[in-house]
Amino acid sequence: MTPQTPASQPVPAPPATLAVLEVRGLTRRFPGVLALNNVDFNVYPGEVHALVGENGAGKSTMINMLAGVLQPSSGSILMNGKPRVFHSTQDSQHAGIGVIFQEFNLIPHLSVAENVFINREPERGLRIDWKTMFSRTQVVMDRLSIDIDPRTTISELPVAQQQLVEIARALAFEAQVIVMDEPTAALSEHEVDRLLEIVRSLKTAGVAVIYVSHKLEEVFAIADRITVLRDGQHIITENAADLNEQKVISAMVGRTLIHTECPVRTPGALRLKVKDLCIEDRVKGVSFELHAGEVLGLAGLMGSGCDEVVEGLFGLRPITFSELTLNGKAVSIEGPRSAIRSKIGFVPSDRKQSGLLPDLSVKQNTSIGILERLRQGFWINQRQELKVAENYRTKLNLRCNSLNQRISGLSGGNQQKVILARSLAEDCDVLFLAEPTRGVDVGAKAEIYTLIDDLVAAGNAVLLQSSELPEIIRLANRVIVFANGLPQGELSGKDLNQENIMALATRTKGESHE
Amino acid sequence: MSNRFIKFWKSYSIVIVVLVVAVIISFMAPRFFQFENLMNVLSNASVVAIVGLGMTLAIASGNFDLSVGSTAAFASCVSFSLVPALGIPLSILAGLITGAVVGLINGAIITELRVPAFIATLGMQTIVRGLALIYTGGKDLYLYGQTEYKVLSGNALGIPMPLIMALVIAIVLSLVVSQTRFGRHVLALGSNFPAAKRSGVQTTWVVWGVFAIVGVTAALSGMVVSAQVLTANGRLSTGLELSAIAVVVLGGTPLSGGRLTMLGTLMGALLIAIINNGLNLLNIPIFYQELTVGSLMLIALAINLSQGFKVSSLIRRPQ
Repeated sequence: MTPQTPASQPVPAPPATLAVLEVRGLTRRFPGVLALNNVDFNVYPGEVHALVGENGAGKSTMINMLAGVLQPSSGSILMNGKPRVFHSTQDSQHAGIGVIFQEFNLIPHLSVAENVFINREPERGLRIDWKTMFSRTQVVMDRLSIDIDPRTTISELPVAQQQLVEIARALAFEAQVIVMDEPTAALSEHEVDRLLEIVRSLKTAGVAVIYVSHKLEEVFAIADRITVLRDGQHIITENAADLNEQKVISAMVGRTLIHTECPVRTPGALRLKVKDLCIEDRVKGVSFELHAGEVLGLAGLMGSGCDEVVEGLFGLRPITFSELTLNGKAVSIEGPRSAIRSKIGFVPSDRKQSGLLPDLSVKQNTSIGILERLRQGFWINQRQELKVAENYRTKLNLRCNSLNQRISGLSGGNQQKVILARSLAEDCDVLFLAEPTRGVDVGAKAEIYTLIDDLVAAGNAVLLQSSELPEIIRLANRVIVFANGLPQGELSGKDLNQENIMALATRTKGESHE
Repeated sequence: MSNRFIKFWKSYSIVIVVLVVAVIISFMAPRFFQFENLMNVLSNASVVAIVGLGMTLAIASGNFDLSVGSTAAFASCVSFSLVPALGIPLSILAGLITGAVVGLINGAIITELRVPAFIATLGMQTIVRGLALIYTGGKDLYLYGQTEYKVLSGNALGIPMPLIMALVIAIVLSLVVSQTRFGRHVLALGSNFPAAKRSGVQTTWVVWGVFAIVGVTAALSGMVVSAQVLTANGRLSTGLELSAIAVVVLGGTPLSGGRLTMLGTLMGALLIAIINNGLNLLNIPIFYQELTVGSLMLIALAINLSQGFKVSSLIRRPQ
């Protein structure tokens, strides 16, 4: 794609001829991954430029580089035409970029004003000049017509108002560019409207806003221009007026699939039946049946609630339901132990956080769930344990020097295979897979897919949660799509394609309108 | 070759350090290598090693026990006070049970009240110390002529009993860790708590078990010291927790949990005992011993941390 030069931008209103922020050929490599590849992007004063893309498209990488959290592998960032290098968040702030992350950077025990002026407290001699601090905060609040007392403690404010404080902070250090990362993820509909109003007022004040979101309705409501990233590549940048949701969605997902087709499967006996599942206040009204020999997919964007469904059914979150049966028998799942005893296996999405036992060996990581079975009196039957691990090493084509090697020395793909082996060793009927190939290289990914096919062919039932659309289409027979904690519909057969999933997943409204 | 050397050095550096220090001290103070002195050193090392071995298990499980000193005192006071009524074997058993009970209470505070181990055992340190002082009324308990109690501190076949006990405990705990389900669960817990829980490990029981074991080793350590002088009191073993943690860290067990070395802990205890003995032989005032132990611990910790381990157990919150 050719970079858009200002001359080829007919509409964007502001008369400014110079982009306030421009990135050229921005590239960021991680070991084994090109997270962002030669991307050009710019934004003008008083413009709202939306940055959209699937999970993993490179949006976060780009934001982190603008914020000075990550440094580019190559390419440059220009502010008002001058190249800048950001070694830290402070550098980026000094240059006039304010980034509002999804996870706010506010200190909960301090007041609004203290947060707004953190690190830049007005001082009189050695003491903080509280009066100036409060009055200057009030000025910023008035500018945004926000009604928050600068003396309020942050932790007393609801999330939506905390976000406004973040915006106020960016304005207080005279940011020329404000980046908002999924700003509405935690907001109610009414709060979203309020936020969009504030974005418009920023626009009139001449501030450039980079609006990162995958909620397309919002994007079209607010953006002047839209840039789509996919797999770290720049796909299109166009005026919002020249685009529609359909075009943006196909730009977001329009990759040709390198994977093979999903095999034909014949579902067998009913394994898991769930009716009216609710998880805390996050997810409501989930009902499905899962049969032996099939893969049921749960899809949705970040914050849609589909990951909570899997965690809830494994006993990691409090759940309520009107019916929950496993192999025809009612079960109650109080925690991971009772889930495992009911023959449910779970491969968690955050392998490092809740899967790996980094100090233990490959063998010990495999057997941790089945030690009861390997017990011989007081001792673990070491020979049997080795045999089990050896078996899975061959079965999963695990590449390690020794089964007694620490798991932390393995590649991501091989680590994931061990975690899979752990669940398989537990001899489960129903396997929950959450992001089974996250952080796994392409080769291992294909192997894991084949392995899942084999498992399902052998009569396992798999509940798959994945934010990678090609993956879920490759693996699942049916897919339930979530948005805002509600199932939006089920897709299967010919209807199961990325466009349809995205269309359901990007619905902003709570109710499904079918 | 160099790789193998590094691995060897990582596993056995503490043994080499112990040998080097021993040789240096024997040059400076020839009396060091006299049989009686050596047995004395081994005996002193063993008293700390016994509780250090329990502490090793606690640290490997991602926990800490700061109450071992008080537990040692309370258990030996209980044991001493029961000698007239129960006789010596049963009163020793009573002391061990006291240690186990204190450990179980520690465990319960951590798992049921969800207080981090660091804070829970710090509180228990003071509470149990208070109990010991109340129980004895602040007085010393003597066992006049009951030299049979010295079975804990005397010699068997010329070898100090504390040394035998330390070796037995080291072997037993090593086997438990490497060969049993409980041991595996301890390591899993210390390596990654949420992952262990998701794998079906009954984390509550494991924590209780670990603290019960630490309590027993603390009690034993306290009773050995009391047996040496046939006197117990509520102020016994003050600061034992720091020595115990120091020998674990010196031995090379990472404070981040998930790994341990019982041999290292034995060697750590030996190193401190040798240095203290050397300072005594050289007539260096006893106050300098504290300085030495503290500095050694910090150096060992710095080395420990530079290998990429984190002191997460200090702040980890039970889940």
